Amino acid sequence: MTSFAAQATFYYMAAAAVVSALVGVTRKNPVHSMLWVLALFLHVAGIFLLLDAEFLAAVQVIVYAGAILIFYLFVVMLLDLPGEEARPRYGKHWLFAAAAGLSFGALAWLAQVEMPDPERAGLAPAARQIAAAGPPRGSLRDIGEALFGPFALPFEMASLVLLAAIIGAVVLARRRGAES
Amino acid sequence: MIAPPGTVLGLSAVLFGIGVFGFLARRNIILMFISAEVMLNAVNVSLVGFSQQLGDPRGQVLALFVIAVAAAEAGVGLGLVIALNRNKPGAGVENLTELKW
Repeated sequence: MTSFAAQATFYYMAAAAVVSALVGVTRKNPVHSMLWVLALFLHVAGIFLLLDAEFLAAVQVIVYAGAILIFYLFVVMLLDLPGEEARPRYGKHWLFAAAAGLSFGALAWLAQVEMPDPERAGLAPAARQIAAAGPPRGSLRDIGEALFGPFALPFEMASLVLLAAIIGAVVLARRRGAES
Repeated sequence: MIAPPGTVLGLSAVLFGIGVFGFLARRNIILMFISAEVMLNAVNVSLVGFSQQLGDPRGQVLALFVIAVAAAEAGVGLGLVIALNRNKPGAGVENLTELKW
């Protein structure tokens, strides 16, 4: 892919991700919300692909879009929310919530603005210098070596976390008088 | 170089802000969880952006762990939603006031 096409794809993916996230958190119908967030997840997977993270893009599609979001959809359908459409969708404090979201976004945005003074430069120029120094890595082989080398203990802990979550979900969702 | 390094971080910042807004403003507990997923995705975007900029696979490994924790959070959170729904039908957070004093 030529550089211009890749750039255009990146900016399309970024814009579509922002729009679908914004629409997703403001829809009235929960199922419509889920479908917009699904669009967000797929566009984020495309961004991962453009950022040389092919394995993570596949994991994003399979685990996030395929498993987690379908799980949410099943719970929405299981709950049977008849009055959901009639009720107001925001609390009375939604303006404060918008201000909090804006300031969070602004803070995180300021972290990457390039300062004219190199002494007080943000994160982005430093990253560019380091990237210029070394050859790009990040293939699946490197991820596997990192996952089973220095990250072996956290990797095993992740399985423990998931096991605890499975047991917790079963205990929480079980009916009280159902033990026999 | 596909995009200038700040662009990925800026996208991550915007997505995170949208997630914060959704989490604080919505009154449906499931949509609050979905907003939390949007925030986790924003963090993943910035981790992968750093991983590409620094040429270091550890960012992608951390993003994998974030996805694992998100899956665990979805399982426990939705189990809680089902348990709450059994006591009191509906998914609005304004009804859940038993822990208030």
